[in-house]
Amino acid sequence: MSPVLSARNLTKRFPGVVALKDVSFDLHEGEIHALCGENGAGKSTLIKLLSGLHAHGSYDGELEVGGKFARFRGIADAEHAGLAVIYQELALVEEMTVAENIFLGREPRRFGLVNWEKMHRETQALLRKFQINLSPDTPVSRLGVGEKQLVEIVKALGKNSRILILDEPTAALAEHETQILLNILRDLRGRGIACIYISHRLDEVFAIADRITILRDGETVFTAKAANTSKPELIRHMVGREITELFPRALKLDPLADHQALYVENLSVADPHTGSLRLKNITFTIAPGEVLGIGGLMGAGRTELLMHLYGAWGERVGGRVAIGRRLLPDSPPATLRSGLALVSEDRRRQGLVLDQSVGFNLSLSPLARMSRCGLIQPAREHSLNDAFFRRLGVRATGLEATAGKLSGGNQQKIVLGKALMTEPKVILLDEPTRGIDVGAKAEIYELINNLTAVGKAVVLVSSELPELIGMSDRILMLHEGRIAGEFERGATQEQLLAAAMGGESVSASPAPPTLLTMPCTYDGSYAIPSSIFLPIL
Amino acid sequence: MNSKFSLRDLSLFFALLAIAAFFTFAVPGYGFVTPRNLTQLVVEVSITATLAVGMLLVILPGHIDLSAGSGVGLLGGLATVLVGGTGWLTKALTNFHAWLGATFGAKVAACFPPPPWPDPVAMLVCLVVAMVFWGLMGMLVVRERIQAFIVTLGGMLIFKGLFWRVIESHTIPVIGPTLGKSWPLAVGGQTFDVPQDWLHRLTTEYLDATTGLLLAAVISLLMLLGAVRGWARRRKHNIAGDDGELTFVKWLIVAQLLFLFVLVANQYQGVPMPAVICGAVAFAVHTLTRHTRFGRYLYAIGGNEEAAVISGIAVKKIVVRAFVLMGVIVAITGFMQTAYAGYTTPDIGNLMELDAVAACVIGGVSLRGGRGTVLGVLYGALIMATLAKGMSLTTFTSRYPELKYIARGAVLILAVWMDSRLSKRID
Repeated sequence: MSPVLSARNLTKRFPGVVALKDVSFDLHEGEIHALCGENGAGKSTLIKLLSGLHAHGSYDGELEVGGKFARFRGIADAEHAGLAVIYQELALVEEMTVAENIFLGREPRRFGLVNWEKMHRETQALLRKFQINLSPDTPVSRLGVGEKQLVEIVKALGKNSRILILDEPTAALAEHETQILLNILRDLRGRGIACIYISHRLDEVFAIADRITILRDGETVFTAKAANTSKPELIRHMVGREITELFPRALKLDPLADHQALYVENLSVADPHTGSLRLKNITFTIAPGEVLGIGGLMGAGRTELLMHLYGAWGERVGGRVAIGRRLLPDSPPATLRSGLALVSEDRRRQGLVLDQSVGFNLSLSPLARMSRCGLIQPAREHSLNDAFFRRLGVRATGLEATAGKLSGGNQQKIVLGKALMTEPKVILLDEPTRGIDVGAKAEIYELINNLTAVGKAVVLVSSELPELIGMSDRILMLHEGRIAGEFERGATQEQLLAAAMGGESVSASPAPPTLLTMPCTYDGSYAIPSSIFLPIL
Repeated sequence: MNSKFSLRDLSLFFALLAIAAFFTFAVPGYGFVTPRNLTQLVVEVSITATLAVGMLLVILPGHIDLSAGSGVGLLGGLATVLVGGTGWLTKALTNFHAWLGATFGAKVAACFPPPPWPDPVAMLVCLVVAMVFWGLMGMLVVRERIQAFIVTLGGMLIFKGLFWRVIESHTIPVIGPTLGKSWPLAVGGQTFDVPQDWLHRLTTEYLDATTGLLLAAVISLLMLLGAVRGWARRRKHNIAGDDGELTFVKWLIVAQLLFLFVLVANQYQGVPMPAVICGAVAFAVHTLTRHTRFGRYLYAIGGNEEAAVISGIAVKKIVVRAFVLMGVIVAITGFMQTAYAGYTTPDIGNLMELDAVAACVIGGVSLRGGRGTVLGVLYGALIMATLAKGMSLTTFTSRYPELKYIARGAVLILAVWMDSRLSKRID
């Protein structure tokens, strides 16, 4: 039997990175083929390529759909060939009904007007065919996430798609919704529809997939029938990445103080828009001079945790957070003053005012230190900016250069500098090395070491397990908003990934001291004078 | 911050020159460049520019104020009524005074006399009212996340309604019992007469020739001082910017223009008060935007609000403050506009908000926020007001007053189109 889709030797390059290397992949009729891999392994690039988002010609290699060469110039071509992608972020129009969404863009017409009756009838027929219990006239805004997903699938099938690509369809679903979805997929398989199923949840993958392929660093490293493999084997292949980069993390020094820099106790936080619980019972502490790594898969709640600590996101349902001996305030200006700074994940969106100069951006957070009675002291501003500009080694023509025109690594240094200039005691770094070149990465690792050497506490969130292992003194893995494991130095990538994927909570270290039991000897005056901190930077 | 002359700045300057030159020759008998007409032009420019400079404060963080025009009418009208002791509001306040007297005794009531109030008191009350109104609008924008467009559109209608209620849709002259009176002020043995009818005199007062020249001298000296200090700092820290020569030439041009302006004004009656007020407001806002934390934050919020939040800027507080300052400036503009008209009439302030927005946009302010300077806004206001004034003087266009609107609309669109063209080419 010839495959309905086959990709041969696909290679996709982006400036500076090879996202896919020689990837070959095939899909048979009536098959569910699971695609697994770490964040950044190349899954989404592969989907974009299959769905025509990366047009033919922008990559090397061949794509064959239904036995014919496919040269997709855009999404429309791919749809025409019978491919449909159901993305994590659903592409439904909330204000429209189920029927309107299913027929969006190809409404049945009569005399140039929409034939509502026919639309309704055909929708009903489709829903009945796949045994989905929904009314065609329900507005989509009233459906749950799971039901929306089903509408998306029906929409795709309504276009006579023979190949479905599902990108983490169950990430936002509750258990019973997941079961419904899996049943429908099985039913579709019986009708000859082929499916590429992308998921981080290995249990699901084993429950539904016929075959499993693993991508790692843009390469297919493993393909096997689901029946012939096992969870540990999959995990081993997923993390097989070698630690080639140098992580100069010096061993943790003796504790600099007998108190912790940050206490987080039973923290539970809800999404302010949906009200659903996104962080559950998070407890940890971090000592001055320590790097605490936080890992987890996409959507595990890492960014939410940092943003909440900083006071910029979420509604606290329970628990408390203290910095030194004081409770941490709940708004960014106040947390910044109390000694906690955040370097956010998306430097272009949340870090920089791109149209403004490097100097403008650097002094945005520490402006209070550079002004008297609200008036900015230009000399002081310039000398402080200049000092950090030099010490961080920003490669730009000067403080007057436009921030938006710098390279990613240099932009990241400015965002870091902005945070460090407020002289924080605790620094939260969210993916500080994402998308920057190796040289800049090494400089940032060096910077982290220097910071901890003078007693700053660093929280490092990273998707790259080698980086997490190489740079952290301790690692917390999050899974669906919970701490799924805590690891000391020496943890393996397998252990971490198993925890991230929701393996049993393996706590490798004793429970951290809590706010209540911790003897508070801190007198509130602990702050490293900047004169010590600056020269090392 | 780029200190070189950009193509855009020059194009603005030449546009202004071209418009002025056109009217110089188009208006019969060189009526456009007479000292009298130029003085009037200065008064009108000052009023437009004051409001436009205020508008800059709201547009910089990415918002807008459509209620400014109605607010000008309302606050000017309110001041007129409080100074003159007329109308429905005076009756209401008089009744309140009587009620206070009956309930708490004459002593308490004496603390709250009914209008007419002295001009400074009435104007101060109007300022406070404006701050409250604009503060409330700012809160609605940042707390409840209603778009400023909507909030101020509502404000525009509400203020218009309040305005008409306050003046009972009548025409009320800007005069009160204080007209012509003055307070004697003894300073070092000499006695000066300080006039009491501030509101009435706001636009008819002129600095005498000597005072005008003295003021120009002091201002140019201060500017020279600032320029030299900036230049010294740039040299010391090796910051790119104008060299000493260019700094001096720039100062010389500005100082000469300033003296030219004073000399021309002195040929009529002297420097008009609105020009002084506008200059003070513009200087204050320039200092705010360029040299204070508050101003820096306005640019940051307009440039990237999310980044501003993450940088630890109290975005909500800053935006509300910008709105409150806008209220103050609207009130000041209201006093001037009403005093200039001599009466408060129901159509005072009509479309002024749009003139202010247009002046900002012509002056290179981005409506998305984060970009714009006071100097640019002053240029924009100068262009808009010159166009309006010139067209009311030429024979052809004064016969068809509607042309004024069409020309201003066309210039606005043209300016924005040129802006996007020129800035693209520079990139």
